[in-house]
Parts: sequence; structure tokens; C-alpha cells
Amino acid sequence: MPRNFESIPNSRKYGLIFLCFGLYIILYLQYFNLQVRNYSKYKGKSYSNSVRKIPLPAPRGIIYDRNGIPIVDNMPTYEVKVIPVDVNEKFNYLILSNELNIPQSELISKIENANKYSSKYLPILLKRHLDFEVISRLSENRLELPGILFTELPARTYPSDSKLTHVIGYLRTVSGGFLKNASKELNYNRDDIHGFAGLELFYESDLRGVDGYEYHLVDNKGIDHGILLDENRFSPKKGKTLILTIDHGLQVLVENLLDSLKGSIICSNPKTGEIFAMASAPDYNLDSFVGPIPNELWSNWNTDVNRPLFNRAINGLYPPGSTLKLAASAMVLETNKVSPNWSVNCNGVYSFGNHKYHCWKKTGHGNVNLKHAIKYSCNIYFYQLIQHFNLKTWVEYMNDFGYGFKTGIDLEFESSGLIPNKTYLDEKYTSRGWARGNLLSFVLGQGDVLSTPLQVLKMVNLIATNGMAGKLNLLKSDNIEIDTLDYSNKTWTFINDAMWNVVNGQKGTGEKAKPNKGVARGKTGTAENPHGEPHSWFTGYTTLKNGEQLSVAIVIENGGKGSQVAAPVAKKIFNYFAGVKVD
Amino acid sequence: MIKEFFKRYTVFPANYKITFGIIFPILLLIIISLMILFAANPNSFQLTSFFGKQSVWFGVSIVSFLIVQSVKPHFYYENAYILYGLLILVIISTSLFDAAGGASRWIKFGGIQFQPSEIGKMVVVFALAKFLTDLRNLSSVYKTITLSFIITGIPALLVFKQPDLGTALVYIFATIPMLIWRGYKPSNLFVVFGPFISIIAASNIIFFSIWMSFVVFVLYFTRPKLINAIGVFISNIVFGTITTLIWNNLYPHQKNRILTFLDPTKDPMGAGYQIIQSKTAIGSGGLFGVGLGNGTQTQLRFLPVRNSDFIISVIGEEFGLFGISAILICFGIVIYWMINYAQITRNQFGSLSIIGFSSIIFFHTLVNMGMAVGLFPVTGLPLPFISYGGTFLLSMFLIIGITQNFINNNFR
Repeated sequence: MPRNFESIPNSRKYGLIFLCFGLYIILYLQYFNLQVRNYSKYKGKSYSNSVRKIPLPAPRGIIYDRNGIPIVDNMPTYEVKVIPVDVNEKFNYLILSNELNIPQSELISKIENANKYSSKYLPILLKRHLDFEVISRLSENRLELPGILFTELPARTYPSDSKLTHVIGYLRTVSGGFLKNASKELNYNRDDIHGFAGLELFYESDLRGVDGYEYHLVDNKGIDHGILLDENRFSPKKGKTLILTIDHGLQVLVENLLDSLKGSIICSNPKTGEIFAMASAPDYNLDSFVGPIPNELWSNWNTDVNRPLFNRAINGLYPPGSTLKLAASAMVLETNKVSPNWSVNCNGVYSFGNHKYHCWKKTGHGNVNLKHAIKYSCNIYFYQLIQHFNLKTWVEYMNDFGYGFKTGIDLEFESSGLIPNKTYLDEKYTSRGWARGNLLSFVLGQGDVLSTPLQVLKMVNLIATNGMAGKLNLLKSDNIEIDTLDYSNKTWTFINDAMWNVVNGQKGTGEKAKPNKGVARGKTGTAENPHGEPHSWFTGYTTLKNGEQLSVAIVIENGGKGSQVAAPVAKKIFNYFAGVKVD
Repeated sequence: MIKEFFKRYTVFPANYKITFGIIFPILLLIIISLMILFAANPNSFQLTSFFGKQSVWFGVSIVSFLIVQSVKPHFYYENAYILYGLLILVIISTSLFDAAGGASRWIKFGGIQFQPSEIGKMVVVFALAKFLTDLRNLSSVYKTITLSFIITGIPALLVFKQPDLGTALVYIFATIPMLIWRGYKPSNLFVVFGPFISIIAASNIIFFSIWMSFVVFVLYFTRPKLINAIGVFISNIVFGTITTLIWNNLYPHQKNRILTFLDPTKDPMGAGYQIIQSKTAIGSGGLFGVGLGNGTQTQLRFLPVRNSDFIISVIGEEFGLFGISAILICFGIVIYWMINYAQITRNQFGSLSIIGFSSIIFFHTLVNMGMAVGLFPVTGLPLPFISYGGTFLLSMFLIIGITQNFINNNFR
């Protein structure tokens, strides 16, 4: 290294040192200026001014029926929050307690608890869904309530005459457990509201919207001085609007028909799968509370023996009864093992093994072939018929129609019903414990067989469309998904003719379903069950002159005979669809 | 070859002396920094917290400090230009690492981000020190001064493009004291450099007055020829006033465009808001502050860089003028001793490097603490040893380590 070092004169060293120190002193004077000379000014500023991040809840999407009639809308309500750190000894708990209807001690402990954590700068929720009057009274007393915040919170309102309870579903406030499992993308926070059932749940990500926020300047009296920096505001994004396939008028009719009954009615367009109406009774009134369902109410309904929260249309597991004979007929026609003209003499009783099996008509139907057996819903015919088939074949055909599987409707927690196959029976009865006798009841839609009304509807839709039914759905869309079932035209024609006979033929079991206008086809069912009177079934469809179709699946719990109870209900629906005004 | 390299450049440090005047104040600063980071952030017991990460970097820095002690000083001298060339290459290559936020000043090794321009501060000082050491004589004054500014200006320009205005200014600023230390008269520098400062200082009348009095002060003590002195003075005034005139006649959006050009990472409105917040926080601290972890202003409001660039606001609020004094005194002592040791060091290269290093530390503290109270525009320069930031802490410790090493190898 070169050693051409010239020693540094002291003047140069001290020059630099003094320069540095001089600049430090200027710097120091500015700090002195702020912290000592202007201390009170800045202290005051820091006391009185605080920036608060105020959340702006996004309104959930509005839900319309197919004709644009609002089914679910939003209305403004308010919520009261408080910033724990701002609550001082001046805070008037009495006023707040009276207005919010919360005991003072509860308020005090809630606020004091929150003050222990670092989140004490963040607002905590005191009460939701207050109306404007309460808020304005509290506003008047703001000086005595430092740290109080009022936020607008949109709540659900149900403006239409139709209830559509189970389809829409309800909201709940997020719980700790829910937060853990919730998708990160949806960004749930404490005290947020989310769809818990029905469409509100299924389309949660669409309906929810995106919450916004803005920064407010809040002074030491807790008074909000409005938005601080406009560019830091993030407007809430409203949730997406849903347009349903539901027809409001038909829905109202269907709900009235089920009034004071137990059961379910679903109507749809077979070709598109659009559900025009879906009702389950008993239900509850979504309008009986504001905002998310109160926990107490929810647990009451949850333990109610009539199960009002239960959507029978998609979760009700009923023996499908004779309606299942339609699917069995398809098996006969497709396999060609037995000719449709093959006939049986029904004398009201059929002996199999040690058992005697009865027809519903004790005197018997006489000579019946397949067409008659469907028309009169003759049990003896099917008892004898099933002797020619094995369980496996039967299960295959039932599965073809979608029994034992979810239909894939846009509602969560749909049930898949039960078509007992060999594995199931071996497990339940052990391989020796069950026999052909079980199959005798299965073919009549009894025994272990269970299906939801929606599955029955899907079967009828497949029949009505010759195996090209639209996938059942509740959201109006231009894209129609098709559930296909590739059977011969002969089969479809035969079943449709048989169903025509049920409604229109002499002494058909479904004659009470015959509408004043339009051509109806259908099948009744009377499902024996251990809970008393049999469940009353009717399923079928009507075709208008212009080719428009409407299919129904009706089940009335413990209603009695399908031909007597469910069929007349179908008639009213068919008539409504055809535009016939009948009282 | 590697063996030769180590034989040539490394030595086991013997007769080791610690320069307490430098090390003690720095340790105090580190303690304050860790306290603030601990109290101001959640989950400080976790390794991934600000406190945790900074503690790890502190450990890394100490180890680096020790490793540096075994490097012979002439390594830096002999390889100064090679390091300089590497620095330029690395800075250019960082633009290939497409970083988030549009600012490409990071290099990533696995999970660790690394900022080469921080280490670059040292390399630039070495290159300039070597250049100034190798000068036969000081005759061609303006040529040398211009060349010096080119040496620091090239990396400064590249860093400015990243964009990192603060670091670019550090490179440029370090040039001036080193030139003075080498024996160039401030008046010579003023002729080249003064007008540029005038342009910047003209943005504020108080600044400009301080700057012009400083110019007069320097001219008086350096005693150049009268005609030169008057020339320098007038040129500064002219540059300053012309800029002000032009500036004042610009439309606001044009001004914003220029400000955004100078420092694209900051939007002028946002920065202004930060300064208001920072001043309120510091002012409300008073003499003794509100206590560690109790600063409502800094904890509550959105000072987005309260752990790094605006950490002094937290200190000001929580420890008051008392804390500020402690920090300024610590830095004052460090600067004082570094300049003193630079004089004692009988080695041109080492002496110049130490001056360069102390300038870097001084400039960082001045600009950082100045911007928090609105004396300087927000440039994003962190506060040495206190601000959160791994590479920066490491580079500061390397600076101190190398200084220590130069002092220990004083008379060789």
C-alpha cells in the first residue's frame, strides 16, 4: 500500500467535526421545538385526534324470482360499536343500557375485558339491527358516550308474499369454529354474518360482496369528524344479484296448499330442470327476526319435533311407494325378459314363502297386464313380476333414474336416499337374513327404499322428456345441463301412455289430478310407514297445448291415499299452470 | 490459489484493541432499537417477528464484525476496483430480479432478501479512497473532483434508477468529506457542487438561508481569491433563485410529476401525511415521552414504516426529547471518534475510508431524523443501528468492523 501519507491538519479534523455537530444541533433544535416549545399543541392534537378505521359492511346480493319480483331484499339497520380505549369515567352506561336493553354490568364487563387486549383500539360490537330512532337518541347523548360508533348494517328483508323459507335459508353470525374452517378468500372477520342454509349458504361467495372501510377522524369526545382521507376509502362491493327459477305466484299457491300440513311440493320444468316452486312444511317465518337468526330461536326450532328447519324437499327421506313402479316398468320394457302383455290374475292376495302379500284393493284387480298394473297401481302384478328379476338388475334401473344419488341441485346437504343393494343388505341383515321377500317390498317402493321428493321429481322429468331432463336447479341460467337416460322410445312411450291412463283412464288412481285444461299424466303412491297413516304421494306432469310442461312431486306426510289426498293437490297446481281460475 | 489468497489477505488478529468510543454507543443504540421493535409489534417472542428477525440479523452482524477483523486492510485497497466493478454488475443484475412493488433493489437467496446497494456503500467508498490515495499530486483540482464524482455518480445513478433516491444521495454525499479530507479546499468543491445544493435548498427559504450562510462561512474561512469567492456566491444565488422562480411557476400536477420522478415510490400527498403523523407523534412525546409501548400515535395511526424509516417517531413519542438526546449523543460520539481515528490512522487509504464511512452514518442519521420532523423530504433512508432491516444493519456493522480493523492495523 502506498505510504504517501500526509498528516491531516487539526483544522481539517475539527472543521468536519464542527460541521457534523452543527448540523446535529440544528436537528436537535427542531426536536426541541416540537417536543418542548410546541409540546402542548402536539399533545392536544394527539389526544383529540385519532384515526379510526371504520368498516363498511357490504349489502348481500338481492334475490329475485324468475319474473323479477324481489324475494329477498336489504333494509338499512344500524349497529352500535364502541372503541374500548376511548371509554372513560364519563361514560354513561345507564343511557346505553336502557337503549340497547342490555344490563349495565354486562356492558361494563364486556368493555373492560376488551380493554385488556391490544385490540382495544378496534371497535367491539355491542348490539346489532337497531332502528334509526334508537340511534338518533343515542346520538343526542354522544357527549356522554365517548368512543361510541354507529355503523349502518344492511339486514335481510323478505318483501314478497311467498315465504320460500327453506330454499332461501337463513344467516348466522360467524362462530370461532366456522372462522377456522372458512375459506380464506372470503375474508371473514369476527361478528361477520354468513349464509348458513339454503341458497344463502350455497351462493354465499356470490351473495356476500366485499366489505369496505374508511378512515375517520374521531376526537376525544368520541365525535366522528367524518372521512379523513378520501383516497384511503374502500367502498363496499354489493353482493351479486341472484335471479331464481322460482315462479312467485306458483310458490305462493304451493305454500298455501301445504298450509297446516306436513310434507313437500316441488314443481319444475322437465326440459330445463328449472324449479318453479319448492315448499316444505312445516316451515318458519324468515321475517320473524332481523338479521342473522338468533341463537335461541335457532336451537328451539332445531329441537322442535316437527323440524321446521328441515327442508323435506331435499332431505325428507320417504318410502317412494308406488311411484317407484314407474321405474320398475322401465326395467320390464328395457330388459324384454317379460312381455308388457304378460298378465297376472290379481285376487287381492299373493303368497310368497310363509307370507301373504296383499294388494291395496282387497277384492283384487282381476286380470292385469303392465299397463293396467300402473293404472290401478296393482301390487300383486309387481309381486309376481319381480320374481323374474334379481336384486342387481332392479338396483341398476333404480340408479339409472337417480335414486340413491344426489340430483345435484344447487342447495347444500342434499340427501341421496337409499336404494338397498347387496352390500347394504348383507351388512344390515347378514347375507342369510334377507331374501327375495325383501325385493317384493322394494319394488313397491317400500321396505328399506327411501327417496327424497326431489328424486321422485327427477324420475318424472326423465319420463316426461324421454330421458333428456334438465338438471334440477334454482338459479336462472342460459346454460341448461341435461341429465340423460338412454332408453328406447318404445319404453318412454309406454310409460307415458300408462301415466296418461292413471289420470285420464276410467278408474285410474290419479283421476282426481285431472286438470280442467291441459293433458296430465301421473302416478300416485301410498307409502306405508311406521309413523301412522301412509304418506300420500303424487307425481306427474301436465302438458299444455303450446307444449309447455310442468312436473310435480307431492308428498303429504301421513296424508293417507295418494289418490285421495295428493292427487287433488296436483290438480290445483296443473290448473294454475294452465291459467284456469278455480276457487 | 485459494490458499494463497487467504495467506495474502488474512491474518489472525493479535493485540486486539476495541475502540470503546465507537462500540459502546452503538451497542446502546442496538438496545434501544430492539426494545422499540419488541414493544411495538405483536408476537415478539416468535422468531418471525420484527424483534426476532432483527435479533437474528444482529447476531449475524456480530459474527461478520468478528470475521472482518482477520482481513488485512490492503485486501480492500488492492481489490477496490474489482469490487467496484462487481458492484456495478450486481446492481445491474438486480433489475433482472423482478421484485414486488416495482422497486428492484433486492436479491433473493432462498428465503432471504438481500439489498446489494447497502453493501455497495462500502465498495463505493473503497473505490474513491483508492482513487484519491493513488493521486500523485493535487494539481489538477477540477479534473480530480469531477472524476471523483463520476466514480460515485455511476453507481448512484444505477441505484437511483432502481429507484432508491436515498442510497444514491448517500453515494454522492460521501464524496465531499473524502475530497476535503484528501486536501481539496471546500471552495473548490463549492464551485462544482454548490449550485446543485442550491437548487435543492431553494425549495425552502429557511434552508436556502442556512445554506447560503454556510457558503459565506466556508468562503470566509477558506479565503479564496476575492473574485472567485464572489463568483461562487453569485452562482449559488442565481441557481437557487432561478429554480425557485421556475418551480413556483409550475402547475401543481407538473410539480407532482417532477417530485414523483425524483422519488417514484412515494406519492407526495401520502408522504406529507406521514410527516404530519410523525411530527404529531414526536411532539406529543414531550421531554420524557409516554413510556415504552404506550405511544398511541405511533401504534394506532398508519405510519406504515414505523419499524424502519419512521422508527425515530416511535422513539420521540415514547422516550421524548430525552430519548432523542441520547440517540443524537450516541451518534455524535461515534462520528467524533471515527473522525479522530481517521486522523490518527497513518494510512491514506484507511484514513479516507473511515471518513467515507462516518459520512455515510452521519448522512443517514441527519436525513432520517430530519425527515421525521419535516426538515427533509421523505427519501426512505433508515436510521443506522436502529431501523428494522437486515442488510442495512449488516452493512453498518461491516462498516464499523472494517473501521475497527483499519484502526488496529494502524501503522502498517
